[in-house]
Amino acid sequence: MQLRGVTIEDTFAEAFTMRVARAVITARSPRWAREAALKMTGFATSVIGCKLEAGIERELAESETPDGRPGISVLLLTMAREDLGHRLIERVGQTVLTCPTTCCFDGLPDAPDRVGVGSALRLFGDGFQGSKVIGGRRFWRIPVMEGEFLVEDKFGLQKGIGGGNFLILATDPDAALAAAEAAVEAIAHVPGVILPFPGGVVRSGSKVGSRRSKGLVASTNDAYCPTLRAVTTTALPEGVHSVLEIVVDGTDAAAVSRALRVGIDAACREGVVAISAGNYGGKLGPHHFHLRQIMSGDGAR
Amino acid sequence: MTAEATLTLRAPLRHRVDAGTVAWSALRGMDAAGIASQEVWVEDDGRATLGDLFAVSGAPAARVRLIGDLALMDGIGAGLAAGELIVDGDAGRQVGQRMSGGVIEVRGSTGPLAGGADPGAKRGMSGGEIVIRGSAGPLAGAGLRRGLIVVQADASEDAGRGMIAGSILVFGSLGSNPGLFSRRGSIVAFGAHTPPTAYRYACTYRPPHLRVTLGYLRSRHGVPVTPGQLAGAYRRYSGDLAELGAGEILSWIP
Repeated sequence: MQLRGVTIEDTFAEAFTMRVARAVITARSPRWAREAALKMTGFATSVIGCKLEAGIERELAESETPDGRPGISVLLLTMAREDLGHRLIERVGQTVLTCPTTCCFDGLPDAPDRVGVGSALRLFGDGFQGSKVIGGRRFWRIPVMEGEFLVEDKFGLQKGIGGGNFLILATDPDAALAAAEAAVEAIAHVPGVILPFPGGVVRSGSKVGSRRSKGLVASTNDAYCPTLRAVTTTALPEGVHSVLEIVVDGTDAAAVSRALRVGIDAACREGVVAISAGNYGGKLGPHHFHLRQIMSGDGAR
Repeated sequence: MTAEATLTLRAPLRHRVDAGTVAWSALRGMDAAGIASQEVWVEDDGRATLGDLFAVSGAPAARVRLIGDLALMDGIGAGLAAGELIVDGDAGRQVGQRMSGGVIEVRGSTGPLAGGADPGAKRGMSGGEIVIRGSAGPLAGAGLRRGLIVVQADASEDAGRGMIAGSILVFGSLGSNPGLFSRRGSIVAFGAHTPPTAYRYACTYRPPHLRVTLGYLRSRHGVPVTPGQLAGAYRRYSGDLAELGAGEILSWIP
């Protein structure tokens, strides 16, 4: 399959079932909502090293937030349900509670599976905290030096998908980066997904395990490293001198599939030779996003 | 099942009626005969049924509406645990007595003790929402344990007396001694009022939870909240300092 002269390889992205939560951060201004969201999603690129994958999903208008203020929705994902509760408490407690003017709400209020967040953070109030039930949802009011921090008692969790991806195989680093930037910009408008890596782009795609270090769970994906073309079993077509990866996490397969489609479409531009995807032979992840099916309108298998 | 069962008062009430014996939660989904057979107690006349006082139509339904001047009917919505009850007119004493859930909307005014504790009891309503479009009589939310009471006009004296938790929002003037002997809970005053001497001024700020509460009241109950009330500053008074002192009166600064 060719798209504007770019080969869409006959392969698939292999993704995993994860647990996802959505935090809605509001503040007096978009600036402060973003400040908190950036801190909350910092050092959260991969569960391999960060215990959590997180990213900004989108900005929210005042009409979309529980307190009528500007907001930002953040998606946070872990492999295990129990981990997500711990990570939420850590992240909300250290990055939102501490940030001026912010409040933090559950963005999945209809999810039946729930984990206590405000119910744990309330202890910071040292007995001076109070709660309010508004429209059936409980919120904690934690007194802080600025005034009060409002946080929802429980956050909803649901099954999500982590590790949707595609690889941009380009003639040179500039072309790869320009295509990746275009893809990130296009995916930014897709609800229900995040791109957890810096600027939404990964330069260091990994393979499972290591040739040399037995304890290492992941090491460089040598098949896609241009500098190793001559000394390893390369997967790079002729003329490819740089590869960047876009990793997509989302609330469901449909959202990830949409993101992959608009991202790949945007990335198919001058200087890009092919679009590929990372997988493990289909043996590890239950979600397979076949690139050609996605680009022809079908979703994940 | 229809959307709404209607109970229309057959004739103006001449005596006080105690409707605290009605199984208000069970009216939702009950057929017309079942609703009509619910017993009430009429002062001087003794035992009667809802069917004696009201013409019932539209049952069974998800929501129940009472139509008429019910200022002499006490205990409307007593023990309500779920569902929605609308009073198209005034209501008497102890609306929402022992209420634990659901919504009561009174489109007129209420008598004393709306959402308040039974005589001799320490605790008033323990959940749910009462929205009073008119004024509330004395002791609204007395002993309030949990839940929300909204008064769009004025509230008489002793609102929130001895309240334990929950919220009372009064958009008109607030009578004397609001929140006296309260342990926790919030009284939000948008009109004229004077905090009791047992309350002490803490600070002026924008309570984050009020934005959520007011936004909810506007969208869910159509309460006419102004942008100034939504985003404005409030004086916080802590009290009753003779009790826990964990309660508050939030005074809106227009």
